[in-house]
Amino acid sequence: MNDIIQNILVFSSLAIALLFLIKKFVWASKKKAAKACGSNDCGCH
Amino acid sequence: MSKQINVALIGNPNTGKTSVFNALTGLNQKVGNYPGITVEKKEGVCKLPRGVKAHIIDLPGTYSLNASSLDESVVIELLLNKNDKDYPDVAVVITDVENLKRNLLIYTQIKDLEIPTILVINMSDRMAYKGISLDIEKLEKQLDTKIALISTRKGKGIDNLKDLISNYKTLSIEPCLNTQDIDTAYFEGLKKAFPNQSLYKLWLVITQDVNFGKIDRNSIKDASDFKTKSNVDLKRLQQKETIKRYQYINNALKEGQTIDLNSAKDLRIKMDRILTHKVWGYLIFFLILLTIFQAIYDWAEVPMDFIDSTFASLSEWTKNVLPSGAFTSLLAEGVIPGLGGIVIFIPQIAFLFLFIAVLEESGYMSRVVFLMDRIMRRFGLSGKSVVPLISGTACAIPAIMATRNIESWKERLITILVTPFTTCSARLPVYLIIISLVIPEGRFLGLSYQALTLMLLYLIGFGAAVGSAWILNKILNIKSKTFFVVEMPNYKLPLFKNVALTVIEKTKSFIFGAGKIILAISIVLWFLASYGPGEQFNNAEEIITEQYASENLSQDELNQKIASHKLEYSFIGITGRAIEPAIRPLGYDWKIGIAIVSSFAAREVFVGTLATIYSVGSDEEATIKNRMAKEINPVLGTPLFNLASGISLLLFYAFAMQCMSTLAIVKRETNSWKWPILQLTIMTAIAYIVALIAYQFLK
Repeated sequence: MNDIIQNILVFSSLAIALLFLIKKFVWASKKKAAKACGSNDCGCH
Repeated sequence: MSKQINVALIGNPNTGKTSVFNALTGLNQKVGNYPGITVEKKEGVCKLPRGVKAHIIDLPGTYSLNASSLDESVVIELLLNKNDKDYPDVAVVITDVENLKRNLLIYTQIKDLEIPTILVINMSDRMAYKGISLDIEKLEKQLDTKIALISTRKGKGIDNLKDLISNYKTLSIEPCLNTQDIDTAYFEGLKKAFPNQSLYKLWLVITQDVNFGKIDRNSIKDASDFKTKSNVDLKRLQQKETIKRYQYINNALKEGQTIDLNSAKDLRIKMDRILTHKVWGYLIFFLILLTIFQAIYDWAEVPMDFIDSTFASLSEWTKNVLPSGAFTSLLAEGVIPGLGGIVIFIPQIAFLFLFIAVLEESGYMSRVVFLMDRIMRRFGLSGKSVVPLISGTACAIPAIMATRNIESWKERLITILVTPFTTCSARLPVYLIIISLVIPEGRFLGLSYQALTLMLLYLIGFGAAVGSAWILNKILNIKSKTFFVVEMPNYKLPLFKNVALTVIEKTKSFIFGAGKIILAISIVLWFLASYGPGEQFNNAEEIITEQYASENLSQDELNQKIASHKLEYSFIGITGRAIEPAIRPLGYDWKIGIAIVSSFAAREVFVGTLATIYSVGSDEEATIKNRMAKEINPVLGTPLFNLASGISLLLFYAFAMQCMSTLAIVKRETNSWKWPILQLTIMTAIAYIVALIAYQFLK
């Protein structure tokens, strides 16, 4: 039971991480090009 | 619903415009001293007396309404376009009490656009020091407006300014100059052709050097019953206009301003003489840099060690407390070491930004810009290129955007292309960890070898930028005009609040911006390192037990071998070994290869990646540095991170582009994929060749 829960948590975390990275670097690239980052930091990190 | 009015803050650079903006809106933003720092439009809301709300726009610093660069044209476009949603109900022109005459030029131009205009005379705390006295009533009469005498440093006069803004409807909108006085015949013709238009607005549209996005200049030039003049004649008329404006300003100041030169204490001239001296200036700058890098190492050591050991203990604690399983391993071996790899650098990054903020706040950074202009010219850059190159020590993205105030397209393009060579803060974690592993701890003349190496890397970055600029200047066949004007602000004791806010804001955005990416990458990397296809991964225990059956290994040693075998045949191991042939000549193994590939998202991911990969293969509690120090080169049997491979890695990161976001911004600023692709290819090639030579020479 513990293993099943742990595996569910692992795969959920992986899915969230992948979605975040895709959103950040693939989908957001067009949006970012239109939005300036000003004198603050740029979100490039 | 309360009424909201638009208020535009306009003024020359370095008049304290951003400080006034902060004082009005309460928004905490960066206040800098080098030219053109307000490149982007900044907005905020301010509550005024009688329930009025003001939408404040902090416009880019500009000397006049005759635009010569992109950021200056933003101001003019807004003021000429009544249909713009941000068109101001009232303009607030900020001036510096010490440069009133020059700062008033733009005031007279804005007033002639028939916009209600308030004059703010800032830095009033400097008046006694400079022997300046003002008769505000007389000045108000002469300049036909209301004046707020303020000091943002002392927090004086802001309430009066808010009162004046809320009463903007009582302000006179009479122009300072009768436009027709510039050239009666020409302007009468213009008036006949466009009877319903403001003459001065038409004149501004006709005479701009830059093209506007929203205003069609040809509709004026092509009007059939009006013939405009040649460019030379127009320039002559512009000069005539400027002379007339200064005559008006001189008359006003004669009445309302007195300067007692005998009581003025001018320490500034003496300091400038030393700090911009052609020998002492450079020497002092060099010594300041040395001090900064030494302090980064000396002051940050204790908090860094504390953070490192805390994360190692946290990882161990997680393993012991949570029920064992895949998710516990993900936390203990993936997430915590990955985040530790970035949090450890908070002290050093905070110290770096602390020094940069102090240099900016004190007014010294503008002297550096002036000093560097002498060198920059020889390499096809201007003094203004120093601003992006220095800003690039924080991040290349805002630095590349700061090139917008460079008037010459050729100089701007070269600056955009070479700025990523400057050592940005994302390179710092990579440098710091590698230097601590491969450079000994000894000292030379009281300076540690490690601090000197770090400084050398910054100089290499700067040298690479300047050297490539020289080559590009020779290669690029672009013709453009060039000139350089720099504003020298007064020396000031840095305000603790401004410095502290800059350090907090920069460190926070570095940690939180990077933190999210590193957290996500750590999870993905842990997964790829903990799962794998095929027999070799799934039957690792049987294979290793059988392989070492004849040797008398302890259980711990056997577990270590199994973990290493699994890692090698995991998804990440297979990928890493596929790219290993390309990076082996540089002295790297497949694990470093994975770290390099993943750090293309952001350079600082490199350390977090290595921390995650190494902790997957290890059961013991250890700091990131210790784990890296223990890594052995599988081919040579020597430590993986030695002088040769370490220097090779440092040089690779010094020259390589390795930043997706910078490429995206270069594409946007140059409006073409040609330049970012060229930049990526050339920088990667240089990085590979230099790292290869360094490793082959030192091994």
